[in-house]
Amino acid sequence: MSDTVQQTRFRRMLAMRAFDEACLDALRRKAIHGELHVGLGQEAIGAGMAEALRPEDAVVSTHRNHFHALAKGVDRRALLAEICEREGGLCRGRGGHMHPFDPDTNFSATGIVGASLPVALGYAHAFAMRGESAVAVGVTGDGGSHTGGFHEAMVMAAARKLPMVVLVENNALAISVQFSEVSPTDTVAERAAAYGARGLHVDGTDVDAVADSFATAMAHARDGCGPVIVEATCHRFRGHFEGDPEGYRPRAERQRLRDSFDPITLYRARLEAGGADPAALDAIAAEEKAAMKALLAEVLEMDMPDPAEALRYRFTEEAPA
Amino acid sequence: MSAPDRINDRINDRINDRLAMPLPATIAEAIALEMERDPAIVCVGEDIGRAGGVFGTTRGLQERFGRDRVLDAPIAEMGFTGMGVGLAQAGMRPLIEIMFVDFVGVCLEQMYNAAAKIPYMSGGRQRMPIVFKTAGGCIGSAAQHSQCLWGLFAHLPGFKVVAPCNPHDHKGLMAAALRSDDPVVFIEHKALLLQKGRDFRHHPDVPAEAYTLPIGQAAVVREGSDVTLATLSATVEHALAAAEELAGEGVSVEVIDLRSVVPLDTATVAESAARTGRLLVVDEDYLSFGLSAELTLRVIEALGHGALRQTARLAVPDVPIPAALSLERAVVPNAALIAERLRAMAKGA
Ligand SMILES: Cc1ncc(C[n+]2csc(CCOP(=O)(O)OP(=O)(O)O)c2C)c(N)n1
Repeated sequence: MSDTVQQTRFRRMLAMRAFDEACLDALRRKAIHGELHVGLGQEAIGAGMAEALRPEDAVVSTHRNHFHALAKGVDRRALLAEICEREGGLCRGRGGHMHPFDPDTNFSATGIVGASLPVALGYAHAFAMRGESAVAVGVTGDGGSHTGGFHEAMVMAAARKLPMVVLVENNALAISVQFSEVSPTDTVAERAAAYGARGLHVDGTDVDAVADSFATAMAHARDGCGPVIVEATCHRFRGHFEGDPEGYRPRAERQRLRDSFDPITLYRARLEAGGADPAALDAIAAEEKAAMKALLAEVLEMDMPDPAEALRYRFTEEAPA
Repeated sequence: MSAPDRINDRINDRINDRLAMPLPATIAEAIALEMERDPAIVCVGEDIGRAGGVFGTTRGLQERFGRDRVLDAPIAEMGFTGMGVGLAQAGMRPLIEIMFVDFVGVCLEQMYNAAAKIPYMSGGRQRMPIVFKTAGGCIGSAAQHSQCLWGLFAHLPGFKVVAPCNPHDHKGLMAAALRSDDPVVFIEHKALLLQKGRDFRHHPDVPAEAYTLPIGQAAVVREGSDVTLATLSATVEHALAAAEELAGEGVSVEVIDLRSVVPLDTATVAESAARTGRLLVVDEDYLSFGLSAELTLRVIEALGHGALRQTARLAVPDVPIPAALSLERAVVPNAALIAERLRAMAKGA
């Protein structure tokens, strides 16, 4: 029996959570070095965007990119292998967790905050000039919404009514800096008006609401009506990166966020209230967890890149034919 | 216990306390002492206030000096780097923190077209007392978070470029940078920022009071007679480890900490290389068009062609820093790679 729309959304969120939990597991096993950023607490946004994305669309993401990659259809085995720095990873272990690139699915990311949006602008221009119906999605956090790149990309996209959607994951924090303390506006979405663009504000812990808003935004951009800013509010359950001492917020606050705003718990309650069988939901959760566990085991068996090849892939002639 | 013993114990305790200080606390202390002395100093950067900096190098400053003097900025580097230029023109002495040096891509404009050139463009009328404080170096965060880039700043005329290697120098050079009327790019190393005083091989002791060190003087941190090894920042520690290993094999290595790239203390390196006849420059920055070639050539120019039996360079071989540890180890100079290179030199003529 195939999943209903709701079950699919539920499954997607669980798959995303299981993915990042596998990353945490890999980190504990020292298969990842450097500062890992996970998206736990933000699954409803990744899952909500997946439905309206078409293969020809592009997504340009951030340092916290795993869920967007999965939403775009990046192969999760290759993604996990890249995060674990394997030769068999998406980028042969050269990019790592902050820099996954997948030309096959038009997915990319950057570790430089705000740098995603100008790249999305480039995709949008290419789609428009070639008369294609694809949409470019640039993802940013609330912190990235204050950058010059955000402003410049919005100016250019709106002036030319380009098919671009800016997805702002507003988890209220940029490392330690609170959105409310540095933003001149209460929301990022309301800034859209200044660009003559459309702005949507949505509860990013509600997967149904995100799916609706994101679909509306994609349709708007696809129909040639110009860029849309979709701001999804959410909460970051873990430190900014793994190892963040989080001196800027009390432990109790973090726990309160987890207890009150877990998108999976919230959605499960909605599904059960609508008559869903708890056993069936448990089964979905167990399946996704088991699948990721098996996948991680497989990935950890994969080879590390050969040091003799460290300089390879800088230039075209160094890549395989 | 006798009275002198008790006093000695107390002194030791005090020294030990300070040896337990994380390097970031030493840097914060240096900034605090200067801010106390000079009310014109204003710090601006991401996460430097409430959080005290992602490494803790500004911890406690906002509580002490208030939110106007220690300003938590949004992620708007172009804005707040240019703000540094305006602050300087308005008579203030800004410290602008760019969290990681890799992020200068988004604000280099205000740094190199404004801060670095205005003193000259104004015919010396407009000073630019700005410290651009930033963290560089590799701790395993791949291509966009692992660079050093001091060669880039050194290439652009107008910056002084400092990259200290131990707690003592961090404190003295930070004070000197804050007192300098020129723009100083002060590059900390992330790996060192994770260490405490006693983790350092060289000069872990830091006096409690304020002091400055001259910007532009290299330090001989280990004496030797067979090879001169010049480097800076975290690589000094790797160089000392490699030198120790080579000493066990009968090769005597002199290790020089350059401490700054601009000014570059060629004289100290040339004096040493003239004695040893062999010069190895190790640089965690990229190899080509950088510090290693520049310094080598300056030494050759100082000593004359033929004065050295060997010159060698070890630096990141013009490749972005890879994510995989197996690849990173192959391209970022570490003690093993340095020892290997020294061994090869010792075997040569
Ligand atoms: C240009 C630039 N400045 C600073 C940083 C360091 N940095 C990395 S993530 C981050 C906070 C980002 O906040 P936000 O955009 O809200 O995303 P979140 O981490 O909350 O998902 C900062 C300051 C960076 N990577 N790039």
